[in-house]
Amino acid sequence: MPRTTIYVSPRSLGSHDQRPPAVVTTDLARLFAGRPALAGVSLTVEPGRAIALLGPNGAGKTTLLRILSTALRPSYGSGQVDGLDLGRDVDAIRPRIAYLSHATGLYDDLTARENLAFAATMLATPHAEVRVDRALEDVGLIGRRRDLVRTFSAGMRKRLALARILLGEASLVLLDEPMAALDDEAMSLVQQLLGAWREVGVTVLVAAHSIERLESHLDGRVIMERGLVTAVAGNGVTSHAPAPLVAGHPLTVTR
Amino acid sequence: MKTRILGWVAFVAVAVMALVALFLVPADLNQGDAQRIMYPHVASAWLAYLSFGVTALAGICWLWRRDLRFDSVALSGAEIGVMFTAFAIWGGMMWGRPVWGVFWQWEDPRLTTTALLLALYAGYLLLRRLTDDPERRATRAAIVGIVAAVDIPIVHFSVEWWRGLHQTATIGSPDKILNPAAPVPFVLTLVGMVLAFTLTWTYLMIRRYQLAQADLGREESARVERIMEARAAEATR
Amino acid sequence: MTALRYEARLALAIAAKDARAEMRGRQAVVSTLFFAAVVLLLFGFALGPDRARLAEAAPGLLWLALVFAGVLAVSRLHLIETDDGALEQLALYPVPRRAIYAGKALAGLAVMAVLGLVVLGAVAVLFGTSIGSAIVPLLATLMLGVVGIAAVGTFYAGLTVRLRAREVMLPLLMLPILAPLLLGAVKATAAALAGDPFGELGAWLQLLVAFDVIMLTAGLATYGYLLEDG
Repeated sequence: MPRTTIYVSPRSLGSHDQRPPAVVTTDLARLFAGRPALAGVSLTVEPGRAIALLGPNGAGKTTLLRILSTALRPSYGSGQVDGLDLGRDVDAIRPRIAYLSHATGLYDDLTARENLAFAATMLATPHAEVRVDRALEDVGLIGRRRDLVRTFSAGMRKRLALARILLGEASLVLLDEPMAALDDEAMSLVQQLLGAWREVGVTVLVAAHSIERLESHLDGRVIMERGLVTAVAGNGVTSHAPAPLVAGHPLTVTR
Repeated sequence: MKTRILGWVAFVAVAVMALVALFLVPADLNQGDAQRIMYPHVASAWLAYLSFGVTALAGICWLWRRDLRFDSVALSGAEIGVMFTAFAIWGGMMWGRPVWGVFWQWEDPRLTTTALLLALYAGYLLLRRLTDDPERRATRAAIVGIVAAVDIPIVHFSVEWWRGLHQTATIGSPDKILNPAAPVPFVLTLVGMVLAFTLTWTYLMIRRYQLAQADLGREESARVERIMEARAAEATR
Repeated sequence: MTALRYEARLALAIAAKDARAEMRGRQAVVSTLFFAAVVLLLFGFALGPDRARLAEAAPGLLWLALVFAGVLAVSRLHLIETDDGALEQLALYPVPRRAIYAGKALAGLAVMAVLGLVVLGAVAVLFGTSIGSAIVPLLATLMLGVVGIAAVGTFYAGLTVRLRAREVMLPLLMLPILAPLLLGAVKATAAALAGDPFGELGAWLQLLVAFDVIMLTAGLATYGYLLEDG
């Protein structure tokens, strides 16, 4: 049973006005085997906001999140996280980002606690042991801490991956379809997390098919389709259309 | 245009040197006419190693500058290099049979190292084929190229040690020509052959590079077109 | 904590994680050991039954078995990271890439060391080589050799784990690079077993040390590029 208050380590992010936009992308494009998964996305996300990326499969949500997490390089265009460039300042960006992808990145043959302990070492979490146990409690997995992740259900893995995020000090959290495969109990966990992050000033991007249960926790929405942004609503996020065609050089290639 | 001239010059140079090596320069006293193959063999070997060096260096430049043109240079070096390597090995074997009595001599550092070079090239080129994304491909290839290039001197050195410590008499190595006491016509022929081959190598490298760039350009246009299509499709909905 | 201490801690954590995962899950060490044993048996069938010939070939067979088994071992250690996208997650941590390489190479070294000791014993038994007083130089050679295999193997396993046709690409890329190591290790082993009659043991060991240092440096410097996903 998840606790009522989740421990999110405090971070000194500065007031809203002092911080650069959490995310800025300019004409971001990415192709896989010749097919454009992103065809020119230009977004600006204000710091401290919770924004949903909505759209059907193949819209490019996952690709966008992967690029922002530094796991993937764009084919064209540029992006900044917290004012740092995705191309040049990758090492500086990494400590600021937490990414929950479709794959959880957990080791099957390690226990829940071992997985988190390893993550804590990688993230240089202070007071690691205490934090690991607290994170396990917060996501409701403390009872299963000695069990191998191999025995976990998909929902439990997601929760453990979320626990891993709690060990870090990211200022930008990227969640790729966190609601998929979660049970009711865990749904409320995500809601609690969104609330906790907002209090600390963490920016959250959530990719999803629909946002019924999360509406009240979100500031803005971005609708994507076929690799492009088709609409933007709410607060905290703006977008502009891809750069206009110029005769002879239709695209500015920035690698 | 200039490249075409270079091509003709190289062709003529090789033809002339072939004639010189075959008919003009005297045969070796000990090895007879078999020794003549040594000229193209040594020249090819030199270019095989030069190519690999170029490939490795181009790889480093790619990692440093992220300009795909460097990768095109690396690719050209590898493909042209394979050719010269294969030819050098063949030449070595052809020369070895009459002189050593066998096609292969394990303790000849040049031959064994060159054979390994061929294996390294093969791995490099196969690796390139397995990756479609141009930048990922360039990065992977660069790494492999660098590590392989670092390995080559170690191999050469270790095989020389192998030979040295076992003190078996290796009759007549091609290197005899390279010592200062060698007769002048031999040295001149060798130098001429190396120059002619290097001209050919340069020509081939330029052409292969141009091809690689053309391929890249085509890929690039296709990608840009796809993106434009996607945007146009969205705009008309 | 100094940077070096920090990186060493990271590397150890990664090595420990690999070791733990392997012990529990995939029985990699055991199956690789059996593979090496089978290879040795096949060598016996192929080259025997003349004991003298086998004894003479023993150093070469020892190292061939280790190199082939080594390909398997390093491959398995990187396969751990294919668990649910673990490699991508590993690459996202704000840790220096060379610490990741060091950790994985360390784990590889641990496996190879165990492998080496067992195979050495097996060769002594199967091919009738008497170890006796040569134990110290033999162990030194063994250690230097497996360090090289682990260093090179970890690097190429990282490269090929996300590649198509990785089962064949790993040995194809890795084995030619190991040629000088193989030569040096076999010569050193043979020299050690014979009591070093020509005084060449030192030279071969130096070659191994040089190889190890160069390859470890190359691996530390370039592993980071392998983790990039284009």
